[in-house]
Amino acid sequence: MTLDLLIQQLVNGLIVGSFYALIALGYSMVFGVIKLLNFAHGDIYMNGAFVGLIVFSFVGIWVGNGWLGVVCALLVSMLVVGLLGVVIERFAYRPMRNAPRLSILITALGASMVLNGTALALTGGRHYAFNTDLGFAGIDISTVHITYTQMVLVAASIALMAGMQAFVSRTMYGKAMRAVSIDMGASRLMGIDVDRVIALTFFMGSALAAGGGVMAGAYYGSVHFFMGFIMGLKAFTAAVIGGIGSVPGAMLGGLLLGLLEAFGSSLPFVGSEWRDVFVFGTLILFLVFKPTGLLGRSVVERV
Amino acid sequence: MMIDEVRTMPAAGQPQLMRWSVVLPGLAALALALVLPQFANAYVTEVATTALLYVVLCLGLNIVVGYAGLLDLGYAAFFAVGAYTSGILTAEFGFNFWLTIPVAMAAACVAGIIIGAPTLRLRSDYLAIVTLGFGEIVRIIARNLDITGGASGLIGIERPEIFGFRLMQVQHFYYAFLVLALLTAFVCLSVERSRMGRAWFYVRYDEDAAAGIGINRVTAKLQAYMMGAVIASVAGCLYAAKMTAISPESFTFNQSLLILLGVVLGGMGRIPGVVLGAILVALLPEVLRGAGTYRPLVTAVALLAIMLFRPNGLWPDKRV
Amino acid sequence: MHFGHAAWMRQQGKWRELMVVSFKRLAKRLACATALAGLAMTTMAAAADIKIGIVAPMTGQLASEGQDMENAVKMAIDAVNAKGGVNGDKIITTTADDACDPQQAVTAGSKLVSEGVTAIVGGYCSGAVLPTLKIYGDAGIPFVIIGANSTKLVAANQGNAFLANSTGDMQATTAVELFKKNGYKKIAVVDEGDAYSSDLAKLTAEAFKGEGGEIAAKETTTAGEQDYSAVVTKIKASGADAVFWTAYHAGGALLTKQLRQAGFQGGIVLGDGNNSPEYLEIAGSAGEGVYLLSPPTVDLLSGAADFKAKYKETYGRDAGAYAALSYDVGDLIADAITRAKSADQKAIIEALKASDLKGLAGEIKFTDKNTLQTSNFRPVIAKGGKWVAVE
Repeated sequence: MTLDLLIQQLVNGLIVGSFYALIALGYSMVFGVIKLLNFAHGDIYMNGAFVGLIVFSFVGIWVGNGWLGVVCALLVSMLVVGLLGVVIERFAYRPMRNAPRLSILITALGASMVLNGTALALTGGRHYAFNTDLGFAGIDISTVHITYTQMVLVAASIALMAGMQAFVSRTMYGKAMRAVSIDMGASRLMGIDVDRVIALTFFMGSALAAGGGVMAGAYYGSVHFFMGFIMGLKAFTAAVIGGIGSVPGAMLGGLLLGLLEAFGSSLPFVGSEWRDVFVFGTLILFLVFKPTGLLGRSVVERV
Repeated sequence: MMIDEVRTMPAAGQPQLMRWSVVLPGLAALALALVLPQFANAYVTEVATTALLYVVLCLGLNIVVGYAGLLDLGYAAFFAVGAYTSGILTAEFGFNFWLTIPVAMAAACVAGIIIGAPTLRLRSDYLAIVTLGFGEIVRIIARNLDITGGASGLIGIERPEIFGFRLMQVQHFYYAFLVLALLTAFVCLSVERSRMGRAWFYVRYDEDAAAGIGINRVTAKLQAYMMGAVIASVAGCLYAAKMTAISPESFTFNQSLLILLGVVLGGMGRIPGVVLGAILVALLPEVLRGAGTYRPLVTAVALLAIMLFRPNGLWPDKRV
Repeated sequence: MHFGHAAWMRQQGKWRELMVVSFKRLAKRLACATALAGLAMTTMAAAADIKIGIVAPMTGQLASEGQDMENAVKMAIDAVNAKGGVNGDKIITTTADDACDPQQAVTAGSKLVSEGVTAIVGGYCSGAVLPTLKIYGDAGIPFVIIGANSTKLVAANQGNAFLANSTGDMQATTAVELFKKNGYKKIAVVDEGDAYSSDLAKLTAEAFKGEGGEIAAKETTTAGEQDYSAVVTKIKASGADAVFWTAYHAGGALLTKQLRQAGFQGGIVLGDGNNSPEYLEIAGSAGEGVYLLSPPTVDLLSGAADFKAKYKETYGRDAGAYAALSYDVGDLIADAITRAKSADQKAIIEALKASDLKGLAGEIKFTDKNTLQTSNFRPVIAKGGKWVAVE
């Protein structure tokens, strides 16, 4: 493998990895707080992309298809889809909070299917173009061309994740979140409004996924109802690799998975048709041999 | 809740089979099922055959999900293992169809152990994702290998012969699937009331307490997982023989979801409920033909509504 | 309904040995009753009208293609009926939805067989058509496949099925001709891992190697995924002159965009699954100069202007990729029944074998394997956001 190829795959891995990390973070936060595997998370990412596209097409009339439009779409989508996350929690997950774990999981699966089915019904399965004028300008490192868009994208997702980490570790709400994740009953006795903390967690996790969705839509230039499925699976894998429930773990896991995929498909004798086997195989190996992930703490099974 | 559940477990001297409220409608349904192809056309029979296929698959998955409480999102993988084992052996190596069934069952057992033994120790939600990943891995393998016919699948699978009589038409397969469904129901009924079945119930409702009374949790879960796998693989064998052509598209995540939907819809853990759910799942695409792209949404809303408003399913056990 | 009778005859021949084992007797009796019911239905269906079944995806993601197929076949049949029908009989149609799903296709197929149709046309997805070949084959029903074109269909054909679309190897031949004409020496082939695209990728790679070309890379992507950067990097590193994408428009548009963004200067050629306005929309300026192996769509056919206008007038929508070919198949089956001079299915199959139809989409003449003699694919190029014919 030449040096150029190495740098190029590193860049590829970083970009796709930062998407994985953004989505993985939401997975991880929700799991940390209510121990729920939110199957709908991938679909929230997809919804975020669609909301972003709609906003982008409207504001594009006034501000054009450049950076300003993308930023508007990003902010509005994060807000709207964050609220959608809260609504889903309120109507689908809250009534089930004390139900057997199996029922909660199936409910989450149902919520995912409803979001996905709604998008399919509304779009008729069409792929929509998300055409931006962000340009291809950038810098060259030997033969590898890195656009400014790519740099902004990675920087933006790192900024979002750093903000989240600061929120969780520095603020009162963050402290409450951590308290709820350790012991929900005790937190309630301590006067923490548990319902509100959970709603906030859903808002933030969903907003991050929506942000990821808008950025992916704008970067790749297309949006469709099925885009959340694969992304959700990969993000979950990333969360497990990093250690589910851990914010820095999700970031690390996302970037590692991105790099793993980029280099994994360049391995000789392993064609790209086996890439997903590679990814799921890694997931299973991690779950079996190191279920706490690289940075996670051990999780006690809730009885 | 736990105490109720324990009480509902069939106690000795009170055999579940003897309740007339279940037996009479059951017999009526069986009589109807036996004569159905005599007055129905090939289309209705075809739909009924699909319904029976789902009855078998849902009963099998019910052992895993309903009895042992393990969420399996990759159940179609075992269905695929059965279909491909039987398909490859008959089409490529000229095996007799009936001989492929034990081989397929063994293959499903091996696959079940490979995936189950290390992962069944994990938290139940991790298991859901692992099984999902496993389902995808099996499908991708089937799609990429030459022996499985690659992405376009296997063709020219021989139709089975029994006592010199070749199963050809849809009516013949209807009866074959009916026999399989009855056998599966019988197996489910007997394990439900066996020592193993009781162990599953305990594990499902309180793992720690189950461990406390000397049940090996991992073994109990593995037994349930493998029994489910074996049932799906037998269904797969018959499916391959009926279709004569199989491709990876028949064993997607969606297929696993549909089977799970059947189990949840009717009522997890209860045989009559699961049978009803399976029949509904098979009829759904026919009833919703006009719904077009709204179909997945209707299915999804049905699943969510059941979980939120009737978590025990459409036909739950009245004693709970 | 042919098979009912055939099964009945078979039962008769074996009747004696059946008396021995009681299990067998039960099974036979059930089968006989079924056969009788089938026989009864045959007489009922033998009214003056000739019934043609249309099988197409009417629901699911490919519903739009299925709707086109149904509309166009009906248009052709209506035109035939307006001219007095075939042999004095009117043709009526009945549609069954296969949703491009193997299981549902089998249900749809037996629905048509139960309705006692004389012949069947349609079929879009090869995966869904494959298991139905046995059903129609056992029933001896003439079946003209409109869209599906996997080479596996040819292998599984029992003699009653005809492929009106060019098969994968014909598209591969067209692709290799285009590569040679453009002077490409090293090709990267990319598919999506499904039956259709991996079949085409394999056939093209073999054909190109056979002509002395080199396959620089053979990659597979996952449907629904958005990031192709790893594959793009590999293609660039392989030094390929051109990329051949064999799967569908959604992935094709993303791949094209990402190849151009990464600075890939070589040619891009797309398989016929990319024939969609969405491709050009999503690929945007990156799509300029890309080649497409197109099926005979109305926009490319000089003689189809009237058809295009009439289709729009009748159904209020533009004729899609397979509309012209579907119309031809409607004509083809009516023509075959006319030449067979009866609704006898064996005679119709013989008549189909001898077809020689100059349709909108091109000439329909079958080889001894019931596939088209001449490929109907033609290369087009994207210019100014539109597909135009390659001179």
